[in-house]
Amino acid sequence: MSHPVADLTALLDGALAPERRHDVEAHLTNCAACRAARDRIAAAVATVAASPPPPAPAPGLEQRFYARLAREAARPSLLGRIGALRWRVLAPVAGAGAAAALAVGIAVRHRAVEADLARNLDLLENFELVASLGSAETHEDVEVVAHLHELPEGRP
Amino acid sequence: MAPDPDAALMLAFQAGDDAAFRALFEKYGHAMVAFCHRFVRDAARAEELAQDVFLKLHRTAGRYRPQARFRTYLYRIASNHCLNELRRGEYGAHRARDARGREPADPDALPADAATPEQAAEGAALATAVQALLDGLPAKQRAAFVLCRFEGLSYEEIAEALETTASAVKSLVHRATVAAALALAPFGAAGRKEAVP
Repeated sequence: MSHPVADLTALLDGALAPERRHDVEAHLTNCAACRAARDRIAAAVATVAASPPPPAPAPGLEQRFYARLAREAARPSLLGRIGALRWRVLAPVAGAGAAAALAVGIAVRHRAVEADLARNLDLLENFELVASLGSAETHEDVEVVAHLHELPEGRP
Repeated sequence: MAPDPDAALMLAFQAGDDAAFRALFEKYGHAMVAFCHRFVRDAARAEELAQDVFLKLHRTAGRYRPQARFRTYLYRIASNHCLNELRRGEYGAHRARDARGREPADPDALPADAATPEQAAEGAALATAVQALLDGLPAKQRAAFVLCRFEGLSYEEIAEALETTASAVKSLVHRATVAAALALAPFGAAGRKEAVP
């Protein structure tokens, strides 16, 4: 059996299973090094047990706790606080969102108007060009002129 | 498992008996402050943490089920709370200072009932050495060691409190106790400093 050093603390604490405890105790009867280690661990446990306790709380611990409990109980719950915050926080956020959506809508509309105007200007230029050639006579001619801007660039 | 009178009190509180909760606080309030002090070594903060533990116990009483002993349930809440406190890292400055200077971290910890000044000084030195030992342990070893050596929980109870296995607790407690044997050797009967093999 190898040195059961890792079991020595549990042995002292009475936390080994009976069979394992029997094996470790049998080892200890024949191993001076493990007995010395066990004794050092036992001395440490005794020293820790003899150390002074932490300072006792000041008198009135219970009163202070119940005062805090009463204060905490008087505060609204987390859900309640979130509910109260909802209108204070969410309303401005919702307002800002609506304003942003309106601004985006206006911008999109403005861009659509500009694009439409640009197309009409192109059409106007095309009409002027075709009119100068004296060849826009029929409805089909007007349709072709209206779609001249769709022709690929560089076409002969 | 033997009947657990504390569990009965907790169940009574669940049923609306405020006096039952008060009885639990009377029984465990001081112990809980002492337990928290092992983690934060500051009397005011230890009391605040202990109050947090009882506030949580009060708020979540409806969730309590008497499957484990009440004491284990309480120390589970407290261990989690103190380990979270350590994770926040507010005590690094204390640790660094004490590792350098070994000065007492809390003058209130000096034993007031020592028979002689020499005993008082020895007790104070031991308290400081134990605090330095605890500060030097990894958080989970520290919790297992405190629950075992100061609160008297069994390995199985510690495993429940720390939500781990009894085998892991055996290892945690052993390593921390070996560290204690090294750190506290000067305070032992023979004052030996040799390492545990």
